[in-house]
Amino acid sequence: MATTPTPAAATPLTSPASRKLLRDIARAMYPHPSFPDGPYEEAVGVIVAAADQDVRLRAQLEQGLRDVDAVGAAPFSELDDDARLAVLRRIEGTAFFEHVRSRLVTGLYDQKAVWDLLGYEGPCTDENGYLDRGFDDLDWLPDPQIVDPHRDEIVR
Amino acid sequence: MSATEIRGRFETPDFAEDDEDVVVIVGSGPGGGTLAHELCERGIRCVVLEAGPHLTAEDYVQDEWEAFNQMAWLDPRTTSGSFRLAKDFPNLPAWTVKAVGGTATHWAGATPRFKAHEFKTATHYGAIDGATLLDWPIALEDLEPYYDRAEEKMGVTHKGGRPALPANNNFKVMGGGAAEIGYRHIATGPYATNSVPYDGRPATVQDGFNFQGDKQESKWSPLVSELPKAAATGNLDLRAGCHVVQITHDARGRADGVLYLDEDGALHKQQARAVCVAGNAIETARLLLLSDSPLFPDGLANSSGQVGRNYMRHLTASVYGRFDREVKMWRGETMAGVVADESRHDTDRGFAGGYYMQLISLGVPFLAAFVEPGGWGPDFTRTMDAYASTAGMWLVGEDMPQADNRVTLDAGMTDAHGLPVPHVHFDDHPNDVAMREHAWTQGTKLYEAVGATGVHRTPPYPSTHNIGTCRMSARPEDGVVDEWGQAHDVPNLFVSDGSQFTTGAAANPTLTIVALGIRQAEHIASRVADGSL
Repeated sequence: MATTPTPAAATPLTSPASRKLLRDIARAMYPHPSFPDGPYEEAVGVIVAAADQDVRLRAQLEQGLRDVDAVGAAPFSELDDDARLAVLRRIEGTAFFEHVRSRLVTGLYDQKAVWDLLGYEGPCTDENGYLDRGFDDLDWLPDPQIVDPHRDEIVR
Repeated sequence: MSATEIRGRFETPDFAEDDEDVVVIVGSGPGGGTLAHELCERGIRCVVLEAGPHLTAEDYVQDEWEAFNQMAWLDPRTTSGSFRLAKDFPNLPAWTVKAVGGTATHWAGATPRFKAHEFKTATHYGAIDGATLLDWPIALEDLEPYYDRAEEKMGVTHKGGRPALPANNNFKVMGGGAAEIGYRHIATGPYATNSVPYDGRPATVQDGFNFQGDKQESKWSPLVSELPKAAATGNLDLRAGCHVVQITHDARGRADGVLYLDEDGALHKQQARAVCVAGNAIETARLLLLSDSPLFPDGLANSSGQVGRNYMRHLTASVYGRFDREVKMWRGETMAGVVADESRHDTDRGFAGGYYMQLISLGVPFLAAFVEPGGWGPDFTRTMDAYASTAGMWLVGEDMPQADNRVTLDAGMTDAHGLPVPHVHFDDHPNDVAMREHAWTQGTKLYEAVGATGVHRTPPYPSTHNIGTCRMSARPEDGVVDEWGQAHDVPNLFVSDGSQFTTGAAANPTLTIVALGIRQAEHIASRVADGSL
């Protein structure tokens, strides 16, 4: 029988459908209405890249993604937000869930784009810190009195 | 900053491995670094073996995960017990640093002294079920002169005419709330980061990256103070990347050196007149246990069976308050705020001992990882969405020593060197649980008093204060070392870090570790002078 070389198929995990499903899971797990898709897609990329180096993780993810579509009343991406949350609550505590959650919580929040969305300024861009850039600019409370800690010290 | 201005970068001479006159110090943190400096100033040559690399200001990065991966002690450990870390971070019970300067590389700088009664807890707290309370063999008055010297070394604010640090945004919220609920002991220190230039180091620029090293070197650490000063005497040989695997002894049972692996994995033996262990409580106990032999079958200096026991980690918990106005807590010195009113011993609150409320700020990456470990869903993201309008406090207090809260060797797992990893067992004592509940409640009231719209009770982070495991005792059967930190069983073996704490007190441990280091150095120097070492 003649054999013909088969073209390298996209793996189930790297397919656009899987990436979209992972993105939808990510948004349901860490729902920030103000966030665009970009940071979620970036975080999904971190998970997919990790799975490329870890066969156990890849196997868990591929099976888990199929299960996520089977647990709810319809495929995950067709569910509304509450139903998606219910699916995640059902599978919370599984190895699949924890693989995804633990990587998302670092992959999502370790992005400059997310820091900007949340107002975090991150590293100081110059050597003068926040000394002249508002380390004490909170103005909706009075400045508290700083009491000498050695005066009237608590001894007992 | 020009290259020549980096104080943490210095070179040291190489002493011979068969030089029996040197003192070997394992670890270069607040305990080991202080001891090395004090001995070198007295003409005693020291070899300091540091497992981590020699990072300096130019290596540090203002990025939480990158810095964590650069400097944290990430060698595997295992855990068990009822403490929540066994579930949240089962292989990371402690958050310490593996680099020259030790855990002071990422410490924030809070430096309260212990109170007199905290050295005598068996006397003042009385019998508490399950707690192995013991009076220290020294009292506050024994340590006071050394506290004075430690505070001068470290440039502690509010001391020696040094001014307080200014109030930052996060402090304005905590200090304001504290005053509202009637607290009176509200300050930005004592704190060992320069409020004004001191000891050749600049004042803080309020960049907020204490936990990632300090690029300005305005924060005290052995890297920028004790070790370069020791190097300047010519009496220090600092070897970075050197992991000690065993303390060796002679036929009389006296320590005679150490075996260590260099950064290329080659095994060396360094001779010594005395060995001082300052590897932080988990590694210090592990090294003594790894140094078992036919003469010391249960581990070196462990005839009492106390090595590894009475591991303490302080209360620790946090409260994060959400407001409807911006706070920007990440700006400014991370921990420059202390409310001391609850640091008293007052059993009317339902527990023995006390706790401090101290400022804390985490960036977005670490807040996500630590505010509610395992958390997800809309409740979690509401907390993160409020990031810029969030204020944070850390709750640090005395936890009870317990015999079975303990570091042992894990027979089932080895590290990259093939050495058994440490296993940390910790059960919360009911006193710890009651204190944490009280502290969470008071922290909540404090933030609500200045308008918090929501409050999150955060459980303990991987432990930064690791103490006990080789405790100091008057009687050899009660502990591992005597009042000088000298092993009861081995006359030229010393413990020189927080492992020697008999009990933990409420205060952050670094100042006391430094004070004990100065005191121990005087003792060692006198024994070198009289020929007994």
